[in-house]
Amino acid sequence: MEWVVLVYLFFVLITIYLYTLFLILFFNNRDKLFEEKISTNLKSVTICIPAYNEEDTIADTIKAVLASNYPKELLEVIVVNDGSIDRTSEIAKQFPVIVLDKKNEGTKAAAVNYGLKHAKNELFGVVDADSYPEPDALLKVVSFFDDAEVGAATTCVRVKNKEVLLGKLQNIEYTLIAWVRKLLEFINSVYVTPGPLSVYRKKIIDDIGGFDHNILTEDIEIAWGVLRRKWKIKMCLSARAYTTVPETLKGWWKQRLRWDIGGIQTFLKHRDVIGKSNYGMLGVFVSPFFASTFVLSLVGFGVWVYLISTKLTQSVFRWLYSVETHSVVLQVKSFYLTPTVFMVFGSLLLMTYFIYLGYALKTLDKTKVTSGRKSIILIYLFIYLLMYPLVFLQSIYRVLIGKFQW
Amino acid sequence: MVDIQKDVFWKAGVITVVVFLLGVGLGYTLELNRISDIRDDYKVIELEWADAKLQSLYYQFLNPESCDAAIRENLRFSDRAYEQGLKLDRYENANQLSSEMEYEKKRYALLKVEFWINSVNLKKMCNADYMNLLYFYSNDPSIPMKSEQDTQSVILKELKNEKGNKLMLIPLPVDMDIATINVIKDTYNITITPTLIIDSNIKLEGVQDLETIKKYII
Repeated sequence: MEWVVLVYLFFVLITIYLYTLFLILFFNNRDKLFEEKISTNLKSVTICIPAYNEEDTIADTIKAVLASNYPKELLEVIVVNDGSIDRTSEIAKQFPVIVLDKKNEGTKAAAVNYGLKHAKNELFGVVDADSYPEPDALLKVVSFFDDAEVGAATTCVRVKNKEVLLGKLQNIEYTLIAWVRKLLEFINSVYVTPGPLSVYRKKIIDDIGGFDHNILTEDIEIAWGVLRRKWKIKMCLSARAYTTVPETLKGWWKQRLRWDIGGIQTFLKHRDVIGKSNYGMLGVFVSPFFASTFVLSLVGFGVWVYLISTKLTQSVFRWLYSVETHSVVLQVKSFYLTPTVFMVFGSLLLMTYFIYLGYALKTLDKTKVTSGRKSIILIYLFIYLLMYPLVFLQSIYRVLIGKFQW
Repeated sequence: MVDIQKDVFWKAGVITVVVFLLGVGLGYTLELNRISDIRDDYKVIELEWADAKLQSLYYQFLNPESCDAAIRENLRFSDRAYEQGLKLDRYENANQLSSEMEYEKKRYALLKVEFWINSVNLKKMCNADYMNLLYFYSNDPSIPMKSEQDTQSVILKELKNEKGNKLMLIPLPVDMDIATINVIKDTYNITITPTLIIDSNIKLEGVQDLETIKKYII
């Protein structure tokens, strides 16, 4: 058996396992996906909005947070102006919020920690300056803290600017991410508390020592810190926060590079937990799962590149020899469809992925899949997903050479 | 401390193993079917070959004036064997789990050697006007070599179509560790593939275009 077949079968085995796991979690819990319980014993919360040169969006973000149907006496809003050189601070000061001006230190984590120092409430939340929580999002998220074991809670992040192609593609991606994140909640494995709206028990963040400003994705790292201490992280699917996603390939690439580098940094920082049950699900599932998604992405891409490049190289050589010998390049008789184990599993994986994607879109979007949407899904499957490993490869390179900034 | 649904992990594991084994089983069944198909073909071709060989012997030794029928039968077998070779290659490329196709290829290669010896002999005994073209190729080529061989195969197929009964085309793999083929290889000093040997005395190394080969085929 060739090595490429063995690698492919390994890829198939792990991928089937993950798809199956998520589908079982979905069928076991489909009645609980949108479950919400509004607390009658709400806790005081400080929402921190770190902002660096966000004059275009800061006003709408503050308005969205202030529009929350959360008791005003329990809500404190802090805008941390992270050394902006535009009108961010000036605009923020027009609202009934606390505006803290600080020198820019180059990371969002430093700005959030600055806000954390000034926060007085039991809970501490973060809202990115280009994100917009729905009015009931905060109430729904905070209600999870009635459970004394909950250390953090987050929302369903949706795409605000989905008019452009890249926005539409990211909308599918964010839908899948939200779906998977909710399913992971049932095995206490929510491994990221994203910036558009996440809330934490302040004492846990203090215990962790704040957000790590050396990690590019402080929202992943802080979640790992919470899980490491065996706290639960909850995710409310019906609490939505909209975020502005990159509209250009360059912007998208830069953002994903940051996510991947931050993911690797987080993984490396917490590598001591791998396989250890005394760190709860972080040790036995989250860290291996996190690593496996990266490995699978690379392996799948590697096999794909190997097969395509082999065929392509053969075709080029064949063409060259054909020109040299004045013979025909291709013959109709050369085409035969001989089913292989690659095709068997390839079809199976594609079919499972369609089921997986179909359930996610149906559950979260609740809209009819139009022919236009079908085209976007095909672009997502066959072009967009292929860019993941490319970004990941560059991020590995950046980590190896120690270039963590972008 | 935290209540989670741990049973999903083993449930997913069991389903995964079942699905994976079913997939591998299906893939393996497809491969076995192909091997079975090749074996069935081989039985027929072996019988046809025995018949063709006997005809050759009969005409050579008992009725040498009527060689034409033997030559015709030999040529018919040559075409059949060539098509079967292409099918074997295609099936071998598709079989990724089992290695039994290797054995079938060896059996088939031996049959081709026997056929070639018979062709040479028949030509000599019957003073026939066809030419024997031995095509040495590698069974496990590098990418450039595979492209060379593919191109050469297309050219030879074209040549065969053009020359018809005037050409016996016999492809032989050089790297299947078959003692008889190794002897033939040494005899003709075959060091690279593709190499063509026309009527045991003309040797052409590397990809040859149609016009070049035709210069040596009457």
